[in-house]
Amino acid sequence: MNTATNTLSSNPWKQGAKDALPLLGGYVPVAVSFGLISVQSGFGVLETILVSAFIYAGASQFLFVAMVVSGAPFWLVIVMTLLINSRHLVYGPNIAPYLEKDIRWVPLMHLLTDQIFALSLTRMPTMSAKERFRWYVSAGIIAWLSWISGTALGAIVGDELMQRWPLIGEVLPFALPALFLVMVLPRCSDRRWTITMVVATATAMLLKLFGFPNIAIPAAAICGALAYYAIQSQPTNKGAIS
Amino acid sequence: MSGHTWMILLSIALGTYLIRTLPYLWMSRKLNKQAAQGGVGSTPVWLTILGPTMIAAMFGTSLVPVEPSFFSWIATAVGCVATYLMWRRTRSMGYPIVVGVLVFGALIVLFG
Repeated sequence: MNTATNTLSSNPWKQGAKDALPLLGGYVPVAVSFGLISVQSGFGVLETILVSAFIYAGASQFLFVAMVVSGAPFWLVIVMTLLINSRHLVYGPNIAPYLEKDIRWVPLMHLLTDQIFALSLTRMPTMSAKERFRWYVSAGIIAWLSWISGTALGAIVGDELMQRWPLIGEVLPFALPALFLVMVLPRCSDRRWTITMVVATATAMLLKLFGFPNIAIPAAAICGALAYYAIQSQPTNKGAIS
Repeated sequence: MSGHTWMILLSIALGTYLIRTLPYLWMSRKLNKQAAQGGVGSTPVWLTILGPTMIAAMFGTSLVPVEPSFFSWIATAVGCVATYLMWRRTRSMGYPIVVGVLVFGALIVLFG
């Protein structure tokens, strides 16, 4: 699984499955927690599973359950959850140049989560159009099914699971930072991009630590982009703009 | 779940899907239009910067441990160093992630 810009060496279906595997470490424990919390909040098992299948966006699902249970007005529940998901607005346009004109991509946009977007942006430039479609379907469906299965597991036996293997929820989520790290590293090829990525990473971490997890990703990404432009507009020692 | 709650759920699901799909369709049409006019379709520069910074931001939020403590921060830092060292060696995705999780997990199990 090379992150460098060489061509895909194996079958795209297999490669998609291989690439999606680290996601399971992050998805399943969170999905189990969601399933458990949803059922404890009064939702049925099937309803909980359908929430995961239809919405398929972690943070907004937790918010949906919490707000519905607290009796919040319906318009506020919709507005708040969509606001959290609004960061997804930039994902489609970013990968659009890699997708050939094909109507099948339209329903497949449902699978475009944070992690699948990050994987796509890393993987797709190295593939042919046909490989991209197969790779995306493979990685996307596996991630989606793992989210639904994890939710079902949490809704049905989540309580017992967490009591018997508490370390699962503590150790496996590290697959996500490790996955993102190997996606960030190839981009740090020069000083400008390194500073940009460090600014975005540090800002997101601090925002989450100080209690703003929902705006952390879009706000930090904008800070990183501003850092990129700030470095560009710095004059060189000859007085020119670099 | 009441009919009212179902309506909220379906509205959120539809809204989230449209948030993912409409910008893709917009960019896709824009690129096709540029290509049809004989130009080379290109994504706006700000968008190509925002993509990688989004990934860096996801990395930043994922660094905060599930149960933050001095020790879990140390384990996270050591896990990241192990991931980085393996990445430098292999320039791949799979092995560095496995090594990172194993090192992080071993620290949590042994000292957590």
